[in-house]
Amino acid sequence: MANIAAQRIKREFKEVIKSEEVAKCAIKVELVNDSFTELKGEIAGPPDTPYEGGNFVLEIKVPETYPFNPPKVRFITKIWHPNISSVTGAICLDILKDQWAAAMTLRTVLLSLQALLSAAEPDDPQDAVVAKQYKEQPEMFRQTAKHWTSVYAGGPAKMSDLDDKIRRLTDMGIEEHNARVALSSYNWDLERATEQLFMTVMAKN
Amino acid sequence: MSKCELAEMSTAKEQPGPSKPSGSAQEEKERDERMFECNICLDTAKDAVVSMCGHLFCWPCLYQWLETRPARQLCPVCKAAISKEKVIPLYGRGITKQEDPRNNVPPRPAGQRSEPEANAGFSGFGFGEGGFHMSFGIGAFPFGFFTSTFNFGETRPGAAPRGSPQFLEEQFLSKVFLWVALVFICWLVMA
Repeated sequence: MANIAAQRIKREFKEVIKSEEVAKCAIKVELVNDSFTELKGEIAGPPDTPYEGGNFVLEIKVPETYPFNPPKVRFITKIWHPNISSVTGAICLDILKDQWAAAMTLRTVLLSLQALLSAAEPDDPQDAVVAKQYKEQPEMFRQTAKHWTSVYAGGPAKMSDLDDKIRRLTDMGIEEHNARVALSSYNWDLERATEQLFMTVMAKN
Repeated sequence: MSKCELAEMSTAKEQPGPSKPSGSAQEEKERDERMFECNICLDTAKDAVVSMCGHLFCWPCLYQWLETRPARQLCPVCKAAISKEKVIPLYGRGITKQEDPRNNVPPRPAGQRSEPEANAGFSGFGFGEGGFHMSFGIGAFPFGFFTSTFNFGETRPGAAPRGSPQFLEEQFLSKVFLWVALVFICWLVMA
């Protein structure tokens, strides 16, 4: 059975490299090991979204039972999106679960993920905090997502006001990523983020 | 991004090259070959079957897909409802290969073949196509006589070919009528 999986990935790999999306730099696939069980994907942030200009790296694990079961995909690049965990990069997308069909390929999976970046599903969230912000404060969400894109995915936007708030926290000895997560989760309210950070520090001690 | 730009430049360079016609011919050939690839293993379909929605698969591949999700039997391409019974095998002209014994897959369903409809009329009793029938009844004798006598123009439908479902049905019906007649005669004798 593993033979079918490897054979198919080999064929898909050849095909995806030749596809026009790769030529346009929208998607990319690379091999991680020789056995075709693990791959590295890359998608470009779609235009007219807060992810524009960013490059998002994905971990793709191909199960023995592929293509009868979906590949396991998660974001390695940190991203602020209602359907993607800001902590683990786990993705909530139906085609990677029960809506998988054997005729889908690496190419269609990557294109679906790119489509997910342009059209979030806040009613079926993976990250509840992000989804709440997306629904209740869309402008705040946009700013946060853009900021994360510029920091983690090489996006172009520089947001000095947000950077300043993070610096305020890092000056207090808080790790930068933790500071960013706390601020993002509390709609960039410096006081509440600080409170929450020190509460968790105290709880640990 | 810089890598991508390079890639774009190189493809742009290749396009106006002199080897364009042969390239397109090869592409066409590739496309022709891909038309007969299984939608699951992406290889040329072996023991090919086609779903009612028209999608091509190897029978072992499709069987495994249907076994993976017995509760959700959907076409892997278009997600139309499909079932093992409702696939059509494709018989090309090539050699039919022996199935790999490692795949514990039941044989591919056979095609459904129905006999063409028989057009030749029944020419019984030497009366030709006219179909001359006579009957003498008691009851409403004169009317019965008329109805059974003046049907010259009509042809009787031909007997169903042996082995077809229609033939079996007719056999069954004739047995039923025979038993009804016997019961009726018995009842008459008893009364």
